[in-house]
Amino acid sequence: MSNPLEDMEKPDVIFCIGTNMTECHPVAATRLKRAIANGAKLITADPRRIALAELADVYLPLRVGSDVSLLLAMAHVIHREGLTNQGFVEGRTTEAEAFLEHIEKFTPEWAETITEVPAADIERAAILYGKAERGAIYYTLGITEHICGVDNVQSLCNLALMTGNIGREGTGVNPMRGQNNIQGAGDAGALPNNYPGFQSVLDPAYQKKFEAVYGRKVDLELGPTKVRALEACGDGIHAMMINGENTVVTDPERHHCEEALKSLDLLVVIDLFLTETAQLADVVLPATAWGETDGVQTNTERRVQRLRKAVEPPGEAMPDWWIVSQIARRMGTPGFGFESAKDVFNELCELSPLYAGLDWDRIDRGEYHWPVPHKDHPGTPILHQGTFENGRGIFKLIRYRDPAEVISDEFPVWLTTGRRLPNYHTRTQTGRAAGIDYLAPGERLEIHPEDVVDWGLEDGGWAKMTSSRGCMMVRVEANARSPRGTVFTSFSFNDAPVNVLTGGGYDPVTDTAELKVCPVRVERP
Amino acid sequence: MSTNGTGPTIVLDGEKVAYNPGETVYEAATRHGKDIPTLCYDPRLEPFGGCRLCVVEVEGARAPVASCTAQCRAGMEVRTRSARVEVHRRTLMEMLVSENREVDVDELTSLASQEMTELVDRYEARTGRFRGRQSGASRPDDPNPFIMRDYDNCISCYRCVRVCAEQEGDYAISVKGRGFDTQITVEFDGHLKESACTFCGQCVQTCPTGALGDLKALAYRDVAGETKKTRTVCPYCGVGCAVDLLTRGNTLIGVQPAMDGPANKGALCVKGQFAFDFVQHPDRLAHPLVRGEDGELHQAGWDEALDRAAEGFLRVRERYGRHAVYGVASGRAPHEAAYTMQKFIRGGFGTNHIDNCSRA
Amino acid sequence: MTDQEILARWKEEPAPLLPVLHAFHARDGYLSEDAIRTVSKGLRIPLADLYGTITFYHHFARVPGGLDCPRVCTGPVCLQEGALDILADLAPEGATGMPCSGRCDDPVPVIRGHLTLAGRSAADLTARPAPLPPPARDGDRECVFRTIREPGHATLAGYRRGGGYEGLARVVQELTPAQVVESIDRSGLAGRGGAGFPTGRKWRAVAEANGTPKSIVCNADEGEPGCFKDRALMDYDPHAVIEGMIASGYATGAHRGFIYLRYEYPETEHILAEAIREAEEAGILGPSVMDSGFAFDLHIRRGAGAYICGEETSLLNSMEGKHPFPRNRPPFPVTHGFENLPTVVNNVETLASVPHILALGAEWYAGLGMNGHAGTKVISLSGDILRPGNYEVPMGFPLERLLYDWAGGPFDGRTIQAVTMAGLSGGFLAGDDLFVTLDEPAIRARKSFLGAGGIMVFDDSRDMVEVAHAAMEFFAHESCGKCFPCRIGTQRLTERLAGEAGPDSLVAWVDEVADIGYTMKETSACGLGTAAPLITESLMRYFPEAVSRHVTAHGPLPMAGRG
Repeated sequence: MSNPLEDMEKPDVIFCIGTNMTECHPVAATRLKRAIANGAKLITADPRRIALAELADVYLPLRVGSDVSLLLAMAHVIHREGLTNQGFVEGRTTEAEAFLEHIEKFTPEWAETITEVPAADIERAAILYGKAERGAIYYTLGITEHICGVDNVQSLCNLALMTGNIGREGTGVNPMRGQNNIQGAGDAGALPNNYPGFQSVLDPAYQKKFEAVYGRKVDLELGPTKVRALEACGDGIHAMMINGENTVVTDPERHHCEEALKSLDLLVVIDLFLTETAQLADVVLPATAWGETDGVQTNTERRVQRLRKAVEPPGEAMPDWWIVSQIARRMGTPGFGFESAKDVFNELCELSPLYAGLDWDRIDRGEYHWPVPHKDHPGTPILHQGTFENGRGIFKLIRYRDPAEVISDEFPVWLTTGRRLPNYHTRTQTGRAAGIDYLAPGERLEIHPEDVVDWGLEDGGWAKMTSSRGCMMVRVEANARSPRGTVFTSFSFNDAPVNVLTGGGYDPVTDTAELKVCPVRVERP
Repeated sequence: MSTNGTGPTIVLDGEKVAYNPGETVYEAATRHGKDIPTLCYDPRLEPFGGCRLCVVEVEGARAPVASCTAQCRAGMEVRTRSARVEVHRRTLMEMLVSENREVDVDELTSLASQEMTELVDRYEARTGRFRGRQSGASRPDDPNPFIMRDYDNCISCYRCVRVCAEQEGDYAISVKGRGFDTQITVEFDGHLKESACTFCGQCVQTCPTGALGDLKALAYRDVAGETKKTRTVCPYCGVGCAVDLLTRGNTLIGVQPAMDGPANKGALCVKGQFAFDFVQHPDRLAHPLVRGEDGELHQAGWDEALDRAAEGFLRVRERYGRHAVYGVASGRAPHEAAYTMQKFIRGGFGTNHIDNCSRA
Repeated sequence: MTDQEILARWKEEPAPLLPVLHAFHARDGYLSEDAIRTVSKGLRIPLADLYGTITFYHHFARVPGGLDCPRVCTGPVCLQEGALDILADLAPEGATGMPCSGRCDDPVPVIRGHLTLAGRSAADLTARPAPLPPPARDGDRECVFRTIREPGHATLAGYRRGGGYEGLARVVQELTPAQVVESIDRSGLAGRGGAGFPTGRKWRAVAEANGTPKSIVCNADEGEPGCFKDRALMDYDPHAVIEGMIASGYATGAHRGFIYLRYEYPETEHILAEAIREAEEAGILGPSVMDSGFAFDLHIRRGAGAYICGEETSLLNSMEGKHPFPRNRPPFPVTHGFENLPTVVNNVETLASVPHILALGAEWYAGLGMNGHAGTKVISLSGDILRPGNYEVPMGFPLERLLYDWAGGPFDGRTIQAVTMAGLSGGFLAGDDLFVTLDEPAIRARKSFLGAGGIMVFDDSRDMVEVAHAAMEFFAHESCGKCFPCRIGTQRLTERLAGEAGPDSLVAWVDEVADIGYTMKETSACGLGTAAPLITESLMRYFPEAVSRHVTAHGPLPMAGRG
């Protein structure tokens, strides 16, 4: 997030798109609800009539995967209505002229033909956001899990740039990170393009810096993303170490994924449970869990916080860092003499300019947001204040593209996927917490009540759902949260493996799978 | 802290002290170390003025005033512990005892559950005076596994109602009826699951009498040992809510929100509040497993398993080259896991064959 | 009307919740679960909140047919006039009791659907207009009743015949708002709902407060037992209230007004609605009041049965559709009233005085009082008295003269044992204190207060402990439940007066009752909780023997304290 969580109580206009925040980030959503209670206006764009839609002043029920057209039209209206922040555009951005010319043709009427949202509502939303004193954008995977995920994000940045809603309190472009330490995994360098601290692997200076510490030269080229690595299993990739991820359930094209992992010479899995993925491994190494481990995690607002051990782990389970270090040492890799989590974290701080002002002891109370460039620095709750990291904010000329697969006579229904409040991911944790089953006993396919009737289904009965890749059975829930012609399910339940169906395409830049859009056929079994 | 000679001041129990503009008497007094009793106050919520225990004497005022709702005024003379207000506090506590089924509740019931008991003892209010009908009707019929609804112990402070509305924004809890027959409920008196309740547990944690209780923690009430608290951060989404883990011996028995948690200020959701016990689920892996000749996974010692992994990676590197190895770090594990994973790949193989699960 | 038509009718109006609920209530005969869900969605009020708020009110029926079930007044006077027999006789029709519904001068009122009946037995119930004030005894000293007895006075034409709206015409055409405030200030007019706050000061505070739109709220939630003066004013002189509100709006810069009318006056709502319609048609209300360019709109909002809504901040919460708990003060309604904006909240009698002051002058009004007190006060007199009714007395008038000279004294062979003050809120006066004069300083010196001016008379045939019990039961029934001392205290005092709980030793009993009362008086959050213990306090002061008999008569109690 560009801005801290506490800023969520400060905007006068909030634009939520592709985020079911009340279910997926419930505590962050409480802050938005407070802002709304204090008079802030809410624009919600989401195909489903989620709780944020019910709270919204303007609700934009767009067709799945049509975000870019909506955002182009909003930009069009903002400029047409003279709501572009000229001072900000001139002072802090570049490529504005081309952008403003680019959006001229993308009228709300044009967007209506793609998004199915009335042009008048698009105009209302655009004017509301355009006139905001402090407009803040929040999004989650509903924006990124598309073949055009990067385009979506850049379209949102364009809106923030043209209205100057960035770099100030209560504004910003704010992705809500989905996992407790997904931000931290990136911070720590578990990315194919960056060393720790987002230092590019393509930069020879960083290559040199890390060579000095790691004792060997690392390739001056990007590594493959996990998606590409899985595709290359058995053909280029022959050994894999997976830490704490149930890849075969979370990733698209499940059958393909299982086959890929089976084709490896060596699969090492470090996890808490014998997950569906661990069951395919050659070596399964038991890790200590939350509550048993000292460590550090970074939240969605870049706040670096300590995790503390409260109980002993079961049996012989050991911390992940110890396990990885042991393997490295046995392979003869230097630099793995860590004796504690503190040793590891302090090494990271020494190598990451974002963490340069931090160390294990300084984060005891969790008050720092990175970047913290030196020991006297107070941290950076709000990014891009006064200046952007790379100088000027750059407008990007985006065009709408259809999703990788669109509905057809054979697959006439849009399937979109996500999470629900009580369960987390594939239920490796929540499925093993007493009582959660009371709230969510099993998977349900949410279908508009009129579609349930039209398609010959019954509320609570079974449906067979088929995509071009696979087929699954799931129980039906008649629910008006789903619009006509679009159905929803989570990916939490192994017995309703929706990712057997998904996987039509990937974002060309990030390789993020288009999990939010999948044409299917839904029928009585 | 006494006045530094600049800002406005009040006279607090005879001592001139500074206050911040807009501060209530309760806030200023508390900040200056006064221990004013209250049962309806939660610093996160709008002052309510219901319990009247925080009344103080203000020079010139006909009757004592509720300090939680009274704003400081320059020169105000406040007595926080005069005989007059202490008499009222004691009477109020005796009245509260008279309407409840029990005063002593298990400490595991919730974070604030001991507040009333402590004040009852402080004011020696177990006198048996003011007996009469008791208020509140418990809901043992609600089958939800998380929130005990023991309204026989409710004192109608409405902290649950207000925290649900003001802090959580769910407006799931409601006040039915009025006066002594006031009952905390949800729409049409149903079960929580059928209401707007999201089981975030905020109502439980702010309840000062144990009328609302954490059923998951209470299930561990028979575990022996002193209850310890360890501050950590929730393991679920990216918000990073600070929590205190409750343990007895080596057993994790519950979670309480950290009121000073920088990201959450005491808020949690159903997962952070109640989904902690996966940690001690029997399915947890306790020993390394290694796939045997028979194709099955077998328990192994660390040495064997680590050697098997290390040798496997070396063999693949030898056979297919260093680009044949790939690492997937976790977005769930701490920095130290991700950092060592990427170092393992970069330092061990000189490649950037490392990613995490953020693309899923 | 369909659900959506009801919502559409009210949705864009200010303070829409109560009218919407009444519309569903009237259409369906009760508030169904479906109706509540529809309203929740339509007005975007959280369902649980709405449900709780509805249960707060006495009169919203939640079972089919509930609206038409008779509600029988069981107020202090009606209890003496056969209310319980009527209740028993109507039990087959699903009758329930209701707190004093403001017809103590013509008991016993029974509300059936939208109709008020009255009579002393079930067979005797008839629909008839509530009584006019009795003829004036000292007419040249009247203000609000000066012209009220003229036939047809409730119509615009009748009101105008008596000089109505002439004062307003002068105000909007000749005076500045500041001059109006100044004139009211000089008259010495003070709040006639009980609090006695100077009206001119209140208006000035609103005039000077920032924030628009401002509002004028007429507090017509006359819920105090033994008070029925506002009913008479609204039934027989509605235009005086309207004229007073418009003048208040002009003086303060408010362009909208609300009359918050208690549920129990269904006929009054029609009379007010008709008067508003007439005034709108005549250009007295609307975009340009009497062609002055000053705009003023007036809305009626009907309560649903909650005494606490007579407390001005509860009333505002009720209008806003919130749970009708009183608000914490400060801030006061003059700056943070309806929708948190500057608001005048005045009682009916206060506002009805305004046209007379405007017409005859501040000095005239100030001169009406006696012994240096300004103006007049309407006293609702009822109970064991020959001629009950609304009497307008000069401030400072001797109570004894009112009781004996004007109202004819007690019934034959009886003596007056006690009277209540401020309806019930002032507790009892008895003995030598019956020789008090009717003004706040004199009555407060006797540990009571005049308040809204309800006086109920109890002769020597009445059991004063029983009267006190009924009074406390009323306060317990009406306690909102927000603050601890009142919520628990009214309950505990009721139990003790009923002989259901409490110590069986007199010393311990008196101790408990006094301790509860002391803490209630000093720490309760609003006037209900501070006033209720005046009942027990005055009971123990004037009738110690009766209390002693009560405590020792019933022997050990099942829930007796250790004492």
